[in-house]
Amino acid sequence: MNMKRVLAVSKRVFMDLKNDKRSLALIIIAPLFAMTVFGLAFSGELKDVNVIVVNHDLGMDVPTIGEINFADDVVNNLDSEVLIIEYKSNLDSALEDLENGEAWAVIYFPEDYTNNTMASMNPMLDASSSIDLYIDMSNANVAESVIMETNSALLATIEDTGGGIPVTIERIDVYGENAEFMDFFVPGIICFTVYLLTTLLTLMSFIGERVSGTLSRVLATPLTESEIVAGYAITFSLVGTFQAIFLVVVGIAVFDVMIVGNVFLAFLVVALLAIVCQALGILLSAFAEREAQAAQFLPFIVMPGFLLSGVFWPLEAIPAWLRPASFFVPPSYAIEATRSVMLRGWGLDMIWPQVLALIVFAIVLLVLAAISLRRRG
Amino acid sequence: MLAVKTDKLVKCYGKFKAVDDLNLHVEKGEIYGLLGPNGAGKTTAIKVLSGLIKKTSGTAKVLDIEVPNKLVSGNVGYMPQETAAYIGLTVHQNIEFFGKLFGLDKEHIAKREKELLEFIDLTDWRDELVQNLSGGMKHRVSLACALIHEPDILFLDEPTVGVDPKLRIKFWKFFTKMKENGTTVIITTHYMDEARRCDRVGFMRQGKLIAEGVPEVLMKETGTDSLEDAFLKYADIERPPVRPGVK
Repeated sequence: MNMKRVLAVSKRVFMDLKNDKRSLALIIIAPLFAMTVFGLAFSGELKDVNVIVVNHDLGMDVPTIGEINFADDVVNNLDSEVLIIEYKSNLDSALEDLENGEAWAVIYFPEDYTNNTMASMNPMLDASSSIDLYIDMSNANVAESVIMETNSALLATIEDTGGGIPVTIERIDVYGENAEFMDFFVPGIICFTVYLLTTLLTLMSFIGERVSGTLSRVLATPLTESEIVAGYAITFSLVGTFQAIFLVVVGIAVFDVMIVGNVFLAFLVVALLAIVCQALGILLSAFAEREAQAAQFLPFIVMPGFLLSGVFWPLEAIPAWLRPASFFVPPSYAIEATRSVMLRGWGLDMIWPQVLALIVFAIVLLVLAAISLRRRG
Repeated sequence: MLAVKTDKLVKCYGKFKAVDDLNLHVEKGEIYGLLGPNGAGKTTAIKVLSGLIKKTSGTAKVLDIEVPNKLVSGNVGYMPQETAAYIGLTVHQNIEFFGKLFGLDKEHIAKREKELLEFIDLTDWRDELVQNLSGGMKHRVSLACALIHEPDILFLDEPTVGVDPKLRIKFWKFFTKMKENGTTVIITTHYMDEARRCDRVGFMRQGKLIAEGVPEVLMKETGTDSLEDAFLKYADIERPPVRPGVK
């Protein structure tokens, strides 16, 4: 392999990107856009969920304390940032609103709620208390949130009254102390955008080379197939690293993302991912005859990266039978490795399995990409 | 040593024989024209000789080396029918890139680039993106890229398509000058007036070489006054390649 020719190809690809303002914008703006939009949209803590409270609880008069009403206490403990509470006295009217889609839930406290709750606190009495939660389950996220908020308010009320909860969880953060969604998300979106853009840019570029005849032309020079692939690999690994640096800087400046480990190790992983992806792009280009056909590859590139790489949801969230499919999606390794580096502070001694997987992917795909460029018999 | 020598060269695409039993002998320093209608096999023959596609059978040697072979690539210049220049690069960046692929140093590239830009009349367009040039200009850039390393053999596939007549004359003067410097030029063209400038021409039809020779001799033998008429005469005759004047 002649390094001068490899560098000539690398410079040529770089100049091509530099001269094309749209590609340049894609490289810079698309990751930023993806980070901001997805980040803000997915980090979404649920807010302003309409619920109706129907409180028929009559309360109780306790001689030494005075009048108590547990239902009022529960309602006071509901998070007013998450839930917008409307009060109604008539349950039927509240349920009508729920059925009309004007509220997501109706929380109904029966007349004897305080009485029963007091009784249930006495171990000598076999009593229990309950509230009715009428809920619209058509949106699982919203419904889960309402259930969670109601449960929290109930627990808080029991604690306030000194009822005592038999078991509590003491949380000790081993990694990612105080980490928020953006901290989890930034390493993922870096790898995802590098995967997507590198694969697409190489794919488009190589279909263009094949169609315009430049590929044939350079293959008629002393340039070899492996030198072409190596030249592309150098440029796109640098572009990928640049994207990663850019996103990390913006992530820190705008979203105050957490970086515990060696960020340069994370950049190295991203560069390795870019090499894998450019080889994938070259390989895929062998199956296209026109530039327009690149669009047909989009679902096969975007969907696995979106669903099976763990960028938005942990891999544990996908069905167990489908999980092995993520082994064949290169960004899944890069995302796990960069997250471990940035949030857990892990070093190469811990992330080597993912790095090794990416190296294997790189070698296999680079060889296949070079073979795909060979002159056809 | 011949510049190009093929024996019973065959190139098939599936069942279709694009080049059929081609025996081509081109001397060094010769301008050899391949003539024929579309689909005659001219481009395929040039692609095999440039090492772009593999032959199906027979032999194809360039400078006595069986092609495809990277050993011979550095001595060969190839200009395809398509523009085949990087449209996202400037004229200068294209020429420089091809110069580097042929291992030329910076000074050499700069010197050759200056000469070539003057020759293709694009000095003022040096720093313009190729995508902003006209079709003819793009073709000229493509030619410059093929010439940057002063190759021993130049394969030109329809090099003057889209080039204005004035510049075509200039091109041919340049090809003649290259021939005088010892370069072998193998060219395909549709322009019959251009073909008459070749030292020898080969008529191709349905992948076969049906006749070859000096243009004037071919016309004389067929009693015609144009190569087009001569081609038509030979195309009507069902017989092995005719080589007038060759015993």
